[in-house]
Amino acid sequence: MARRRIGFVGCPPEDVMGRIRKHELIDLDNLIPGVPVASEGVLPKTVCRIIKRIYDNARALDLDEIVFDEGYGKCDSGRALASLLEETLPVSVRRTRNVSLEGRGTPVSDSRLPLRRKVEMILDDFVRPVERSLEPEPCPAAALWGVPCADFSLYDLFPDGTRILGWLRCFENRTPADEALEQMVDPKIPTVFFAQAFCHKNLLAKHLAERYGGLYFDIDGQVTLPIRAKVEAFMKFRVQGGRRVVG
Amino acid sequence: MRLADFGTTWTKWYDTSGAFGLCRTSEVDFRAEVGTGHNIRARAGRMVNELVALADGGLELIREPDFVLVDVGSREIKYVRFEGRQLTEMNWSTSCAALTGFTLELLGSYFGLDFDRIEPAEASVPVTCGVLGMEQIFERVAAGDPEARAVARFTRGLVDNTLRFAGNPRRLYLSGGMTSNALFLKSFPDHVDVVPLGRFVLVHGLMAEEGLEPGDPAGQ
Repeated sequence: MARRRIGFVGCPPEDVMGRIRKHELIDLDNLIPGVPVASEGVLPKTVCRIIKRIYDNARALDLDEIVFDEGYGKCDSGRALASLLEETLPVSVRRTRNVSLEGRGTPVSDSRLPLRRKVEMILDDFVRPVERSLEPEPCPAAALWGVPCADFSLYDLFPDGTRILGWLRCFENRTPADEALEQMVDPKIPTVFFAQAFCHKNLLAKHLAERYGGLYFDIDGQVTLPIRAKVEAFMKFRVQGGRRVVG
Repeated sequence: MRLADFGTTWTKWYDTSGAFGLCRTSEVDFRAEVGTGHNIRARAGRMVNELVALADGGLELIREPDFVLVDVGSREIKYVRFEGRQLTEMNWSTSCAALTGFTLELLGSYFGLDFDRIEPAEASVPVTCGVLGMEQIFERVAAGDPEARAVARFTRGLVDNTLRFAGNPRRLYLSGGMTSNALFLKSFPDHVDVVPLGRFVLVHGLMAEEGLEPGDPAGQ
């Protein structure tokens, strides 16, 4: 059978992924260099950067098929985008709903590696399984809750061993519909809660940040100076202990 | 040794000879050993981000365990909230509230207004950002409002923004150039206890970062 070029969105079920891993797989949620922006003017402005990116990638790449997981792990915008792509592109769109709660573990999320490396490994592992025998970090200085950030420079602001929580942890676990895992937070670890601007997960991110006294923000695309400043200040005053001037 | 806050319009500095200074950022002709601010670029040997400088400045200047400190500058608004002298909240708004302080200064010059002599307005105009706020002012003037009253409404809108942004505290420590604007200070509602700390809060934060007290000869 000829090797096909298949794009996927979200976290499709393992039984589907297992059958297509022999083909060239492209994660359409990710930034792919050279893909032109075609979504502006087609999609509403109040759509998150990831949805726009999926649209741009699906339009630009010469795909044989798109596997679109549109279950709990995605959103109404994702489901609508699946319909839009199905109706406007000459490529078949296979819709899936990953409701698995059978986790395969989160050794990367819990490892001592630098945060950027962890995220890269989790995303790569979905396409080509990577070595996951990693040394765990039992006492992480910080945690980051959220979805993959469009701008990976965010991850460089965190100390090595930062624990990964939220949807990205569910993604490593292959259980994007595991609400309990998504909402799992260790109150003892200073946690940053992040969502893409215009993503419905902002509500949960802000709620959890208030419940656990964490830092919440959203990002539309690039990490801005104020966002960088907030994370740096959080690290200084909450993670490293900051200055304590007795009042 | 010089520590400086290179703001959008004004640069504030402390020299370890003991002098504090102020000049327009467009006229800056020096480099600082340690700096912060929007226009820092390559002007300092070590950069401290503005939220860190603000938080450190607050810890240095305010003795209470719990406090809210807001910096209203030319270009943006920043705030930090401490509880038990631990940072619990912070925010930095650049898009909403953008250039509001700058716009007020600009309008004062344009209309030739003396902010000390303008009575605060009871009602505000929506001040989403400087440009949209300016549009509101000229709408009011076209509708027959005296220029000073229209600017007072804009200022009241800026106060509303500041309070909302900081979570409507009952006591508010205020930092930045707007603490020198009498109309701005008078426009806060009576139930809010406003404590202006002046323009040098971030500079005090830099001094704290360096372990310096005012007049400290260290680093000379």
